Amino acid sequence: MSGFVCLKDITKVYKMGEVEIHAVDGINFEIEKGELVVIVGPSGAGKTTVLNLLGGMDTATSGKLFVDGADITRYNERQLTSYRRDDIGFVFQFYNLIPNLTAKENVELALQICKDPLDAQTVLEDVGLGHRLDNFPAQLSGGEQQRVSIARALAKNPKLLLCDEPTGALDYNTGKAILQLLQDMCREKGMTVIVITHNSALAPMADRLIKIKNGKVSSMVKNESPMSIADIEW
Amino acid sequence: MKKKALRKEFYMEIRRSLGRFLSIFFIVAIGVAFFSGIRASEPDMRLSGDKYFDEKNLMDIQVISTLGLSERDVKALEAVEGIEKVEAGYSIDALCMKEDSQAAVHVMSVLPSLNMVTAEEGRLPKSWDECAVDADFLAESGYKIGEKIHLTSGKEDSITDTLKTDTFTIVGTVSSPCYISFGRGSTNIGTGSVSGFISVPEESFKLDVYTEIYAAVDGAKDFTAFTDEYEECVSAVLKNVEAIKEERQKMRRQEIVDEAESELDEAREKLEDAKKEAEEELGDAKKELDDGWQQLNDGKAKISASWTELENSRAALISGQEELNVNRRTVEDSQAELNSKQAELNAQLKELNTQQELLDAEKIPLEEQQAQVDNLRELLNQKQTELDQAKVSIVQLQSDNEGLNTEITEITASGEGLQAELTAMQNELNGLDPSLPEQAERIEELNTLIADNINKISDVQIKLEEVYTQFATNQAIIDMMQQEVEKGQAELTAGQQQIDEGQAELDKYWAKVNDAQQILSDGRAELTAGQQQIDEGQAQLDAAWVQLESAQAEINSGWVQLTDGQNQLASAEAEIVENEKKLADGQKEYDEGRLEADAKIADAEAEIKDAEDEISKIENAKWYIYDRDNLNDYTGYGENADRMRAIGEVFPVLFFLVAALISLTTMTRMVEEQRTQIGTMKALGYNRFSIAGKYIGYAFLATVAGCILGILFGEKVFPYIIIYAYGIMYQHMDTYVIPYNIQYALLAALAAMACTLLATVFSCYKELREQAAELMRPPTPKQGKRVLLERVPFIWGRLSFTWKSTIRNLVRYKKRFFMTIFGIGGCMALLLVGFGLKDSIFDIGLLQYHELQLYDGNIILNEDAEKEEQEQAIRVLEQDSRVEATAVNFLKQVKVGANKTWKDVYLNVAEDTEEFSEFIVFRNRRTKEIYTLDDEGVILTEKMAKELDVEPGDTIYIKDDVKGEIPYTVSAVCENYMQHFLYMTSDGYKRGYGNEPKYNSVYYSVKDGEEDTIKSVGEDVIKEEGALSVSYASGIEAQLDDMLGSLNIVIVVLVISAGMLAFVVLYNLNNINITERKRELATLKVLGFYPLEVAEYVYRENIILTILGGFFGIVCGKLLHRFIIVTVEIESAMFGRNIDFRSFIYGFLITFGFSILVNGVMYFKLKKIDMVESLKSVE
Repeated sequence: MSGFVCLKDITKVYKMGEVEIHAVDGINFEIEKGELVVIVGPSGAGKTTVLNLLGGMDTATSGKLFVDGADITRYNERQLTSYRRDDIGFVFQFYNLIPNLTAKENVELALQICKDPLDAQTVLEDVGLGHRLDNFPAQLSGGEQQRVSIARALAKNPKLLLCDEPTGALDYNTGKAILQLLQDMCREKGMTVIVITHNSALAPMADRLIKIKNGKVSSMVKNESPMSIADIEW
Repeated sequence: MKKKALRKEFYMEIRRSLGRFLSIFFIVAIGVAFFSGIRASEPDMRLSGDKYFDEKNLMDIQVISTLGLSERDVKALEAVEGIEKVEAGYSIDALCMKEDSQAAVHVMSVLPSLNMVTAEEGRLPKSWDECAVDADFLAESGYKIGEKIHLTSGKEDSITDTLKTDTFTIVGTVSSPCYISFGRGSTNIGTGSVSGFISVPEESFKLDVYTEIYAAVDGAKDFTAFTDEYEECVSAVLKNVEAIKEERQKMRRQEIVDEAESELDEAREKLEDAKKEAEEELGDAKKELDDGWQQLNDGKAKISASWTELENSRAALISGQEELNVNRRTVEDSQAELNSKQAELNAQLKELNTQQELLDAEKIPLEEQQAQVDNLRELLNQKQTELDQAKVSIVQLQSDNEGLNTEITEITASGEGLQAELTAMQNELNGLDPSLPEQAERIEELNTLIADNINKISDVQIKLEEVYTQFATNQAIIDMMQQEVEKGQAELTAGQQQIDEGQAELDKYWAKVNDAQQILSDGRAELTAGQQQIDEGQAQLDAAWVQLESAQAEINSGWVQLTDGQNQLASAEAEIVENEKKLADGQKEYDEGRLEADAKIADAEAEIKDAEDEISKIENAKWYIYDRDNLNDYTGYGENADRMRAIGEVFPVLFFLVAALISLTTMTRMVEEQRTQIGTMKALGYNRFSIAGKYIGYAFLATVAGCILGILFGEKVFPYIIIYAYGIMYQHMDTYVIPYNIQYALLAALAAMACTLLATVFSCYKELREQAAELMRPPTPKQGKRVLLERVPFIWGRLSFTWKSTIRNLVRYKKRFFMTIFGIGGCMALLLVGFGLKDSIFDIGLLQYHELQLYDGNIILNEDAEKEEQEQAIRVLEQDSRVEATAVNFLKQVKVGANKTWKDVYLNVAEDTEEFSEFIVFRNRRTKEIYTLDDEGVILTEKMAKELDVEPGDTIYIKDDVKGEIPYTVSAVCENYMQHFLYMTSDGYKRGYGNEPKYNSVYYSVKDGEEDTIKSVGEDVIKEEGALSVSYASGIEAQLDDMLGSLNIVIVVLVISAGMLAFVVLYNLNNINITERKRELATLKVLGFYPLEVAEYVYRENIILTILGGFFGIVCGKLLHRFIIVTVEIESAMFGRNIDFRSFIYGFLITFGFSILVNGVMYFKLKKIDMVESLKSVE
């Protein structure tokens, strides 16, 4: 309970007709504030479910989830929405930008509902897109789109930045750059970042590595000396 | 689709996307239903009408003649080629009372089969004094079945010249195929317009000639009314009829002239006869009078003779009485004499009776002595008898002795005989030897016999001794008795001697008494004779009395007769006096009669002369030949069907277009959604047709099903509703012929199919063109585009990002943009048309009676009344303190023509232009410029100006019976909605007609404007003789509203259809919108947008689209409304061209309402979007 993020016996059961699928089956872990956490595991291990639960996009079947001391599992729909709105930044595998808005506008879209946002242009410059502010997503490359997506998440100044396979749709170099960006954000802004990946090669970059298998935490390792992403090859 | 898996997938697809399937199905159904239904309404209306007209045998051709039509005309018409049936009838326009006012009615005879009237209630008239009344008229007139209706001609002639009676019993209400709507035509009596018709049996008319002939055209029934085929069929025959017209017209005149001539001849003859007859009659009368006088005088003479006779009788009676009295006295004297005689006789009788008594006393001792003698004699006779008896006994004893003597002899004889016998026997015995046997026996026997004989001889000796004793006693008795008888005989002879001596002495006394008696008897006889004489005298006297009495009676009756005679004579005298007076009267009468007869004859002669003149003036008959077009309602019905067609040409197309577009987008969307699947299939190696087949089949199935439902439903329901709606106007047409119209059904179905299938093929083609690999990838997202607005940073900079996004989205999804605008616009337009129609139609009452014709009431003056009476009525109205203003005017229906078209118009002439303009506002509808009426020209109402195609400055003509066609210049055309008016000044009228108009109408308004006041003023005035009727603006307004109510249903249909359309369109578009942008919306959700904010993001677009669509709809609606108003307008009215502001609001609100409703439904759909699922991967 001391951690910034704390999961206790979280389970998530999907009912598919008569079959119950235990996507998450009693997960426990804690995360400290300002950590870069990498959650690895094979496809279907329940990583995304955990992330969705953390992001308030889904509710746990049982167990407790505390974020910054608040019990998220007790939140209702509206509170969850507020939670997403104010505390969470999300980076998707497929960027999910609003195609009709320019890069800057996409960021601003998120900001206009935020309590304490950062300046959109600054954030975009931070992620290295200072020159593409007025481009539509269709005019940007994948990496650039993902950067916009990260900028959109960061600009909200969230307590928690959740990234679901942020490099999944990107080529190696771009992926690396994105990860570097995330690591930098964590280090520089002291933001708690959780990255989900099936690529275990990324493990060394994490402050904390959580391995998930069959809906359970198979191991959790605190990495005292994380490597810079630039040093990791895969 | 031979592949099983594909087929299964196809069905699964339908099941999974049932909503989409149904939305195509329904939108096609609605579109097709509306399209084919409304289109089919027009032919269905014609068919329904045709069926009704055929059922009722509506005539095809009507002939009317100015001189009536004779039986020969009927024959002639029957002979015309192409005529199937001819029936002639009578009709006349009459006035009757309708509530408080007079109404004109068309009285017509019931035809055998044509123009069949139908009893709505009650029954058809059977007897000549029964009638059936127009059902509509009855309803508003206040008459009831069973009541009597009284008709007047409204002209100088009496109605009974035409009809057998002027009072009919209402036995039922009827409808006629000639009057299917509200119009009943015009007339030249009353107010000029007919309020209703009355059906009576043919025999109720007593006209010599028919007033009209109706004919049915051969084969016309086979054609549908209102169609060209029908028109051609009838017009061909119409030409044939025209051909005989000229001849018949001449013939008819000749007939009348001949008839009149013969009638005149008859009249002349009659006059001669009458003259002769009059002379004869007068002569007879004269003779009769003379006879009368003669008789009177005779009578008088007879009476005086009778008087004399009567006096004579009286004298005779008096003398008779006197004579009778003398006779009576004589008889009385005789009676007295007789009475004294009787008294004398009675005294003598008394003396005689005394002497008799004395004599009777002397007789008594004599009779005593006689009795003594008789007694002695008696005793003597007794002794004699005793003696005689003794003598008899002696004789008897002597005879007994003699008998005894005989007996002795006999006994002695027998004794001797026995002795002899005994001796004989002893002898024999002795002779016989006892030794011989046989002798022994004899000896024995003889011994017994001898013993017996000895016994017997001893018995006889005893008896002989007894008889000897008896004989001796008897002889002793006889001797004794003989001595006694000799002694008695001597005594008797002495007694006899004594008696004889006494008797002799007695007889001497007897002789003396008898002599006295003789004397007395003689006296008595004498007295009796006297009495008899007296009785005879009395009888004679009695007879005399009787005679006297009868004579008296005779005299009395003579007196009675005399009195009777006197009385009779007196009465005879009275009679004579009376007769004398009568005769005097008769004489007077005779004198007068002669004068009169002379005068009459003179008159008749004059009349005959007049008639001769008149005959010479008779013109040719004029035939008017009409077809059904002459029936206003009939044409009106056809026009209504045309209007329906006009509506059917525009409305459904609009609907259809929307429906087609919807299915197009839906199918396109479906194909786009299944891009990956198509790619997969392609990758698997299915050919294009198999892949496209699924979508084409999907669309085909939905469309065909929709078409079938739509056609089945639409072609029955819409025409039914439309015809039903028109049924309010055509209340008595109860036929519905609603066949399926294959033509429109196919048209609609093919169009629907073409739209959806082409759209599907097109989308499939686009997708299938691409490579499989390309298809597997998500489609390259459409590029965001800058919009024009961004170039205006002033505005753009101030917009929030959601707004920016909205605007960019709107531009980005152009298809959706236009679809929505079109859908919403269509809905709005339909609503606007619906409400607008209501405004235009229902406002005309308001405009007409509150802005243009400002009078509250209109008094129609009685044209039959005296001018003073009319003026009195006007005065009553003007002096009523509640009345604000009045205007006298002249109102009459006339025929107005220009450009060879002739129409009925109300001519309204103002007596005082200034007063008049307070009630009638002449203004331009568009510019609102107010015109004034002047003497130079006339003002015509707008609709009529358009119908006649005249503009200010043009000339129009008014048809007049006398003046022919009177030209007038139109100075202005004014706004007007109900009916058609032609306004002019009185000077203008005078100029054209040459005389002053006979003002017959007064407009008035009241100060307070209250309904009750208006009515009570009207009622007060109508009591005056000079006022005929009153009508109220509000009443007409209400009537108008009723009439137009039928369009209400059409409006309801439009509004409901519009609503359904809007709903389907919006729902469909929103649905597509949401599924298309699921990912985007999920992202927003993840970003922490509240549901409402997410909804807003979507709604914002919808709202903008709805507003844009609404404005688009306003433009479309206004145009459409205008078009429809012009097409649905009925001839006698002009509908408003305006749509109320209110209606815009309503239309907008309803459109928005639908929009909100759809968005409300969408809200839940939005809420259901699952962030996790949506964002998981690229579909």
